[in-house]
Amino acid sequence: MNWKKLGRIFDPTKYKLVNNCMEFAQSPQALVFDDFVRIYFSTRQKDKNGKYLSHISFIDIDKNFENIINVSSKTVIELGDLGCFDEHGIFPLNIVRDKDKVLGYIGGWSRRVSVSVETSIGLAISSDNGLTFKRIGAGPVLSSSLYEPFLVGDPFVAIYGNIYHMWYIYGTKWIISKTNSTPERVYKIGHATSKDGVAWQKDGRRIISNKLNPDECQALPTVIKFDNRYHMFFCYRQATDFRKNRDRGYRIGYAFSEDLNNWIRDDDNAGIDVSTNDWDSDMLCYPHVFHCDSKIYMLYNGNEFGRYGFGLAVLKS
Amino acid sequence: MFKWKKLGRIFNPLEIRDIEWMKEFAQAPSVLIFDKFIRVYFSCRPLPDENGQYVSYAGYVDLNRSNLSEIVNISKNPVLKLGEPGTFDEFGTYPTSVIKNGNDILAYYGGWTRCESVPFNVAIGLAVSQDNGTTFNKVGPGPILSYSPEEPFVLSGPKIRKFNDLWYLYYISGRKWIMADGRAEPVYKIRMATSSDGKNWIKINKDLIDSKVEEDEAQASPDVFFYQERYHMFFCYRYSTSFRSKEKGYRIGYAYSKDLINWIRDDTKVGMDVSEEGWDSEMLAYPHVFEIDNSIYMLYLGNQVGRHGFGLAKLESYKP
Repeated sequence: MNWKKLGRIFDPTKYKLVNNCMEFAQSPQALVFDDFVRIYFSTRQKDKNGKYLSHISFIDIDKNFENIINVSSKTVIELGDLGCFDEHGIFPLNIVRDKDKVLGYIGGWSRRVSVSVETSIGLAISSDNGLTFKRIGAGPVLSSSLYEPFLVGDPFVAIYGNIYHMWYIYGTKWIISKTNSTPERVYKIGHATSKDGVAWQKDGRRIISNKLNPDECQALPTVIKFDNRYHMFFCYRQATDFRKNRDRGYRIGYAFSEDLNNWIRDDDNAGIDVSTNDWDSDMLCYPHVFHCDSKIYMLYNGNEFGRYGFGLAVLKS
Repeated sequence: MFKWKKLGRIFNPLEIRDIEWMKEFAQAPSVLIFDKFIRVYFSCRPLPDENGQYVSYAGYVDLNRSNLSEIVNISKNPVLKLGEPGTFDEFGTYPTSVIKNGNDILAYYGGWTRCESVPFNVAIGLAVSQDNGTTFNKVGPGPILSYSPEEPFVLSGPKIRKFNDLWYLYYISGRKWIMADGRAEPVYKIRMATSSDGKNWIKINKDLIDSKVEEDEAQASPDVFFYQERYHMFFCYRYSTSFRSKEKGYRIGYAYSKDLINWIRDDTKVGMDVSEEGWDSEMLAYPHVFEIDNSIYMLYLGNQVGRHGFGLAKLESYKP
């Protein structure tokens, strides 16, 4: 792969956002229209205790990706009710066009006591071209199970043939050590299939091999098909000391598959890396790859997990 | 109409002095029948931590089969370990329901975690014993039945049954959390799933039992058995708020069914109510019915949902 970076296209600190959100535009997700591209992202509000709540917003941008023509001024999707899996944040909202509807797969966050959070995946549907979404139910469509005990999140859904495919992550352990002030999580990429997008069957296995070490964290898979092959981009990092240490933070990984079943990891072909001294010079994370007018683009976040927005790259070859 | 004769309290955990993890509560009894004794599993608690918070463990007492008022053995250790950090059962295993499966004994249990906005969440786990129910090992670190669009939280109170080669799991699922006096209280309803192997479950996604005292009535402990050509369910129910009082606390309800799915509630047939005074004068909760030696018995909890143990009643008569 050979990606050409087009630079940062959205900085949330320069706009007024709904729900009193101030910073962060994480996990950008594209919905392509005839004349513009709608890009959803997770942004953050501080609650009365100073803790973050992640909300979904979007921008509409022209197809040159230069002029932002609209910023969402209404709530796209409410956070979950008291005690629900998505009460404290939605990150990401994965967007899938499905006939006349737009599906939004919710990465839902709720706070815990002994560890910081638990996550599960929900489903909401939009009947107004993605302006607003309504949940199909208060609970998740994909959650913890016997061998995927917690932290089921980061959904990415694509429809191939008559089958809905979901790539997602699940937690394998919480690391508690004296050197970390808080427990740190380890997660891996999994895959599930569905006939209707609602009832899912997990493969029950880790589909991407580790590169760094067994505690490597793999996150936010995105899959695209071209040249008769399926291509997956994701991000990965060390399990600890990854927030400020440039050498241990997120980078973009890559794998390919001929059959959606066996994936061969090949990070050398990711074709994109951190810059030398810029908004994306410390980390690269939360990639989202999509087709638009016969080109292939990647949206992604940079330093501090997207606190200062997201950028775009176009595939050259 | 059922007619039960109360035989009194069988076990009071407050009388146990030397078991640190069994200081208070003996909740949600569930039996396993042996030749010489019956083993009653229940959930109990050590003293609360410095923040007043409890964990709960599963243990058992063995009762003499020919004299059920006689305790012949008490578990020395919890039968099941609490979960690792971040898992669904890190802070409690309650309740537990056991069933024989070949040489194994399976335990389906509610696993408790602690949340920030509400006090807890619960999902249902599975553990297996290969030593006649003395110790159990979890099948995996996660739950066997977890949340779904229509069952968003608090999946608890499992009761495992097998009828006609099909596995049935009766359980409760949270409907909403109500804020009352600064405290979040869950409303839950009785639900069901079926399985051909005891591991992979299909939820029927339906409330089995109509609500009686109010729309937000909480229902628990759906205990099903077959007797005289019908399926019978005893359960307990309470008001959604102020339920720590006698007036709004747990009582035992009853329903019957021909097909295990469609149930007709008829609490007038329960044949059992709170006593005038004593350990079960304010509440009746968590019924469990079993048959041995041609008699039918009900284990149940009294005041403060089993803080002071469980008692036994014997079926004297039944007419449909």
